Amino acid sequence: MALRLSDYDFKAKDHDGYGENWPISYADLSPYYDKVDLYLGISGHPEGLPQMPDGKYQRPIKLTSSELHLRETLKGMDRMLTPYRAGVTTDGLKHNKYRSRCYGRGACDRHVGGCDIHAAFDSPTGLIRPAMDTGNLTLRPNSTVYEVTVDKDTGKATGVSFLDSETRKSYQAKAKTVLLAASTLESARLMLLSKSTLYPNGIGNSSGHVGHNFCEHVMGPSVAGLMKELVGKPRTLDDGRPGGFYIPRFRNVNTKQSDFLRGYGFEGGAGCGMIPGSAFTSPGFGEEYKRHVRDYAGATIEIGGFGEVLPRYENAVDIDPEVKDTWGVPVLRFSYKFGENEMKMAQDMAVTGREMFEAAGFEVLSSSDKVLPEGWSIHELGTSRMGDDPKTSVLNQYEQSHDVKNLFVVDGSAFVNASCQNPTWTIMALCWRSCDYLADQLKKGEI
Amino acid sequence: MDPILNRRDLFKAFTAVAFTTLQLPAAEPGAPLFFTRDEFALLDALTDLMIPTDDHSPGAHDAGVAAFIDRRVAEAFLAQDKDSWRKGLSAMNELSQSSCQCPFLKASQQQQQEMLKKLAAKEKDPKTEPEKFFTQLKETTAFAYYSSSIGIHQEINYKGNVLLEQFVGYDAT
Repeated sequence: MALRLSDYDFKAKDHDGYGENWPISYADLSPYYDKVDLYLGISGHPEGLPQMPDGKYQRPIKLTSSELHLRETLKGMDRMLTPYRAGVTTDGLKHNKYRSRCYGRGACDRHVGGCDIHAAFDSPTGLIRPAMDTGNLTLRPNSTVYEVTVDKDTGKATGVSFLDSETRKSYQAKAKTVLLAASTLESARLMLLSKSTLYPNGIGNSSGHVGHNFCEHVMGPSVAGLMKELVGKPRTLDDGRPGGFYIPRFRNVNTKQSDFLRGYGFEGGAGCGMIPGSAFTSPGFGEEYKRHVRDYAGATIEIGGFGEVLPRYENAVDIDPEVKDTWGVPVLRFSYKFGENEMKMAQDMAVTGREMFEAAGFEVLSSSDKVLPEGWSIHELGTSRMGDDPKTSVLNQYEQSHDVKNLFVVDGSAFVNASCQNPTWTIMALCWRSCDYLADQLKKGEI
Repeated sequence: MDPILNRRDLFKAFTAVAFTTLQLPAAEPGAPLFFTRDEFALLDALTDLMIPTDDHSPGAHDAGVAAFIDRRVAEAFLAQDKDSWRKGLSAMNELSQSSCQCPFLKASQQQQQEMLKKLAAKEKDPKTEPEKFFTQLKETTAFAYYSSSIGIHQEINYKGNVLLEQFVGYDAT
């Protein structure tokens, strides 16, 4: 899922007064989203939504008949169903010899490590191999970094200490600039572990905000429905595609909810798949069950919500005083819980999900407002948020540490809020922008 | 899989049915890897009761569902994933003992159907050991059967996994 955030996210405080604005706006990041789109390839359909800006799309994936029907229904409800915006190249990329265009085989999940022709973006073929081909990248595998080292006199980062995970020997790498991109949690862990006399709370942590404001997406509520017209119909080829559809956020955009802030989107899909979803929803057993599965295969449609978890200072990770990992490096400890806003939002997901299915004339087979546990989304964000004020933020708008000028954190850590949309494309656009800035600063001798 | 099950985030709910590619220990040809022969016979019969042969296609026995489950349980990382099957099968025999005074496989076809019907009636909210096992067995049998050659081609008549000459996008304008 490759989505752009908008000023409903970057300037969320201006809309509802909660939290902080990002120190950038959509206009700052938009050219970098374009670069990511064109470099990695993205499929989607432009819809002109202010809360989810369009990108530079290759061919969109095909919607199935029930998905099209729901799209038409939602037009009358001021909501939108758009083909899944996927980080998948559907037309091919002439500049990348490691990746093929999507042939629509429907084999997305059949290979360990994902798409075997790399039509779906992955870092090894999308970024790392092309970078190695420049001759400017040295990759040292099996290296577990446990500390960012510091020059006592200048206060600058000097490199990192790491263990060879096979020999368990310790090494140091020296560097002019250190960029952490270990993922939101591991980068926070590294910074908190990198304590010195200069930085007693961990490197880059004079604000005390490293590890705080941890946020992600709340998931769980879902609805499964049936398009009765499709029951008993012959199979069609519907799953030769990397995803189904997305229903972008519609809460707190043009209207205001009284009981919760921010919003959520739905991912969903319908149509015939190799393993019919009806196998898991049909009642009973035996011949009757088998016939039911067969008749209902391809006739079901399902959606599941992804909602914004508000950033809160008290939602935090810190270093566990006792537990260590297999390398003897202390692990993170979590103090993280959903709040009332997330729970109310989740209830609303189940209600609006049903409402949309009923409006489309789908028979609701099941619906759930059960919330999945914290952390389920694996969209961890926010532990070193960016901002203009070094007292309340860890990084500046270029993901550069306020405290240590040659330290950058270029993963999801810099997010000021989680939005309700998948973060990968934003992480990469931010990183690209930060690297342009870094190159410029190095050229000017500022770092 | 249906698109919604395809999603990594949601698919985690089904990690209990994930494949592994471990090397299997050498065993006498045809012998179950994890289950005893008696357990395997019961499992095979139960899966075929779940998805029997009908006038449309062969059922779970012919699709090799029990062998699939046996391999998967043999490869399971967690002891509880193995124990639940052994306990479940013996719970089915205990249920049969108490209601038919014989092991499940010795019960008449009608008695077997009756027992399963009672368990199926509770499938939305299973409480007892056999009720829980019924849902586990059903879900796993379904996953195995509908991903088998018989399930994919003969039963469901799946149209996917073919090269598209042209991948035509949807024009929403």
